Amino acid sequence: MLTFDQVFKRYETGQEALAEVSFSLDPGEFVFLTGPSGAGKSTLMKLAIAMERSTRGQVLLDGQNLNQLPARKIPELRRKVGVVFQNHQLLFDRSVFDNVALPLEIAGHPPSEVKSRVRAALSKVGLSNKERDWPVTLSGGEQQRVGIARAVVHRPPLLLADEPTGNLDPELSREIMSLFQQFSQLGVTVMIATHDLDLVREIPAQRLHLQSGRMVQP
Amino acid sequence: MSERRVTGGATQRLLSRRDRLRAWARHHRQLFGSTLSALLRDWMGLMTTWLVIGIALSLPVLMLIGLRQIGETDHRQVIEPAISVYLSSPSGSAVTQGLISSLRQMPEIRQVTLISEAEALAEFSERSGFFDVLNAFSENPLPAVLEVRSVSTEGATIRLLTQKIGALEGIDSISFDAAWRQRLSSVLLIIERITLALGVLFLCGVVLIIGNTLRLTIENRRHEIEVIKLVGGTDAFVQRPFVYRGFWLGMGGGLMAWIMIQSSLIYLSVPVETLARSYRSDFALEALGFQESLVLLALGAGLGIVGSMVSVRRHLVKIQPN
Ligand SMILES: Nc1ncnc2c1ncn2[C@@H]1O[C@H](COP(=O)(O)OP(=O)(O)O)[C@@H](O)[C@H]1O
Ligand SMILES: [Mg+2]
Repeated sequence: MLTFDQVFKRYETGQEALAEVSFSLDPGEFVFLTGPSGAGKSTLMKLAIAMERSTRGQVLLDGQNLNQLPARKIPELRRKVGVVFQNHQLLFDRSVFDNVALPLEIAGHPPSEVKSRVRAALSKVGLSNKERDWPVTLSGGEQQRVGIARAVVHRPPLLLADEPTGNLDPELSREIMSLFQQFSQLGVTVMIATHDLDLVREIPAQRLHLQSGRMVQP
Repeated sequence: MSERRVTGGATQRLLSRRDRLRAWARHHRQLFGSTLSALLRDWMGLMTTWLVIGIALSLPVLMLIGLRQIGETDHRQVIEPAISVYLSSPSGSAVTQGLISSLRQMPEIRQVTLISEAEALAEFSERSGFFDVLNAFSENPLPAVLEVRSVSTEGATIRLLTQKIGALEGIDSISFDAAWRQRLSSVLLIIERITLALGVLFLCGVVLIIGNTLRLTIENRRHEIEVIKLVGGTDAFVQRPFVYRGFWLGMGGGLMAWIMIQSSLIYLSVPVETLARSYRSDFALEALGFQESLVLLALGAGLGIVGSMVSVRRHLVKIQPN
């Protein structure tokens, strides 16, 4: 599903974020990406959805080499991935429903289908009764769940989450994690970046560990 | 409707070509209304932008209308002076009659009009208001005049014709001010060029105003654009609402321009016609007709779309999720 092969990333500032990173995620796999702050977790995720390009090495998503992907093909690629990123959360001038519907509308699904799929996604994250609400009226945990609903509503085969529990208390974090596990059981490949090691220990899953941009044994 | 199995069990529905075409049309239909209501939410700002665009559009269009109407009017009366042939004999005399018929036989001459002594006096007093002064003479001091119009409008040809006429009998003097004519036509040419140059500048201004307004909107919606791109929105999808905004800005500006132009034309038409009548011209300012009004609106809308094309793409490409 997702393969990194000897990936090296240096930002224009000269900052080296990743070095010789290699791994491969099989379809349906559930993995944690751990490592301290600044280890390169976010960079790795950005490379996977062509927000950044690798300086050296190959990134393959669903068989496509992202280094050779022309810019006009990027949107199509991103539709295969659901992303839950900390700083790309909700649009506050749209209702919960419209936020979740966004990926479907972009892809061009007919309205009746949009409606049923958004409702299904919201019910999956336990927010069926909030579809008409405005994101500002929701709690942090609820907002995060709306973000997850938006990430899965178009049923992408790959789900990437960057610190999805970053600002949540342990109880809510556990709920969110179990949501991800459920998606994984439905066949979705899930990769979650986190520095919350307590949470990682609770869940039996494969772990990729980054240290100063290199993949090391945890 | 094809359900394709993507590796590993997760299913993602792929849309057929027809579905995608429908979605494209739906997006356009939805944006047509939603962009206007979004603009109307800041109606003060919208009105200001519309007024600015309206003014920038109406100035060159008004000048063009003026020029065009000068061009279309039968202005030989005003601009192309006749050869004035002042007669040595009274208008009723045999010499004069002979002169008129021999002039009428010349193929270079289009028209010969006799202005009798009395008519010349009436016209002079009407134009100059010197009636009282002339009244002081016991006799009419003005001679009869023949106004001769040549087929050709070229200065050199007319000058030759003047010499030819001068050789005939019964003539006191001949006047034809070719220099005046040339000066006037070059002044008109300059005005025309200025109008076109100003027109191009103002139209560029409209494009820039619209581009800049949209740039600010894009800046305000940066987050939304980033999110849309992150979940797979194409550049075209992101750009589309701004094209519609540009369309509405230009269209509304065109409507403002239409109102300003029509009211200016109505306001100007009375004094212009009075002036024209004093030159015995049927020159008249006409308000914009139905077709011309449509052209003006289309011009506004078109400039709006051009403005958005010029500015939006450049700014949108720069906005990437990070
Ligand atoms: N856009 C950027 N430009 C320059 N340096 C960056 C950029 N983003 C991240 N970095 C640097 O790359 C390294 C890895 O950062 P990041 O991938 O965000 O780590 P993590 O997500 O594990 O905290 C850090 O040293 C960070 O300062
Ligand atoms: Mg990070």
